[in-house]
Amino acid sequence: MSAKPKLRSVWVFHLNTGACNGCDIEILDILTPFYDAERLGVKLVGSPRHAHAMLVTGPLTRQCYYGAKKAIKAMPPKPRIIVVIGTCACSGGIFYNGYPIYRRSESGREGCEYPRRGGIIELIEDLRDEGEYVGPVIYIPGCPPRPEEILYGIAQLLGLVEKKLEGEHYTEEVGFELPEAPINERIRLTLREKLRHVVGYFDRDKILEDFMELVKKAEESEKPKEELKKLIDEYNAKIRDVRISFCMRLLENEYWRVRDALSAGKEFVYWV
Amino acid sequence: MPVTLRYPFTELEAPPEYRGLPHIDPKLCIGCGACVNACPPDAILRIDDYDRGTRKIVLDIGRCIRCARCEEVCPTGAIRLTNLFEAASPDRRDHIQVVELRLVRCKVCGNYTDFTERQVKKALQILPKEILEEEALEERVFICRNCRRKGTVDATINATKEVVL
Repeated sequence: MSAKPKLRSVWVFHLNTGACNGCDIEILDILTPFYDAERLGVKLVGSPRHAHAMLVTGPLTRQCYYGAKKAIKAMPPKPRIIVVIGTCACSGGIFYNGYPIYRRSESGREGCEYPRRGGIIELIEDLRDEGEYVGPVIYIPGCPPRPEEILYGIAQLLGLVEKKLEGEHYTEEVGFELPEAPINERIRLTLREKLRHVVGYFDRDKILEDFMELVKKAEESEKPKEELKKLIDEYNAKIRDVRISFCMRLLENEYWRVRDALSAGKEFVYWV
Repeated sequence: MPVTLRYPFTELEAPPEYRGLPHIDPKLCIGCGACVNACPPDAILRIDDYDRGTRKIVLDIGRCIRCARCEEVCPTGAIRLTNLFEAASPDRRDHIQVVELRLVRCKVCGNYTDFTERQVKKALQILPKEILEEEALEERVFICRNCRRKGTVDATINATKEVVL
């Protein structure tokens, strides 16, 4: 017989301590036939008196504190598992320094401690100080977590999968790379910022990379301006996407504006 | 036909545009702290230790709300949102990533300054070569704020004395 009794079918009670309802909708999602947490033995029950585990969401507001405490105390004394769902319940999340959020007096709000404090752990530590037994706690961060992520956390609780994440600590020994771009670094950063205003952070790096390749080709030729215009026309004809064509035209104008000013040694505004 | 996902027993990948767990590439990070200023829930911390001469950039995934502001402001593209999502863990310390970088030591007074060696390298890459000569730059860059201010003030006082006398 193993020392740790294996959990078979966990009955859970869902407790919201001031969440925005995002995490609650994801919990609802794992009970639908598509994700179906019930095949793992998970059953949502209507009272904490029947529950093995408590699914907690929300950053623990002062209003909810006493209710949450009562609910956890009402659970059977063992195993009293706490499944912490969402970034808010893990550490306070975006609400971490809001005035209605409960914090223990010794866990400061503006400190530099890590792991970051806040959320349901404050209540669990209060309960442990009072001598109440609270069983294992499993943290599922995410804002909100995907339904798969919650399933993964519950499967980990049941001993079906192993955890994948490890704490990481890097020092200077890993080495340093300063990537060299084919164009001047000042111009590259200017174009990157300009592109962020137009297409956003997600696509800008890929578009800029393609543009820099064209510039590199054009700069090698005799007449770089005409060559770049021709190359961009060819590129646009190939890609057939109006948005990317627009970005390429914009980058071309911007590139020559900044480069001409730099090579003439004149003052210019970086980005408008 | 069964519709249920076989998820915990099979591998699953998030869509390519999914904003999953952030990750700092320690080879690219220069420790400038732009992400620290941008992060709305303070999931990223900058901890300077002037005795040991290190700067720690600490990322806590358990506080992160996946807004990708850090990726947007990072000048070197070091911090990125991957499409991994399996972060569940019974220990909060598994959610921590630390990148520890060396601070520059002041050439004059020997104290540690408030910028890292990598930041200087990046700044020298951006700075146009024709503005300052290489040697003058090397002299000025590796000096802490106090010494630089003191040097400027002393130079000004000496200059005024010369004018008065």
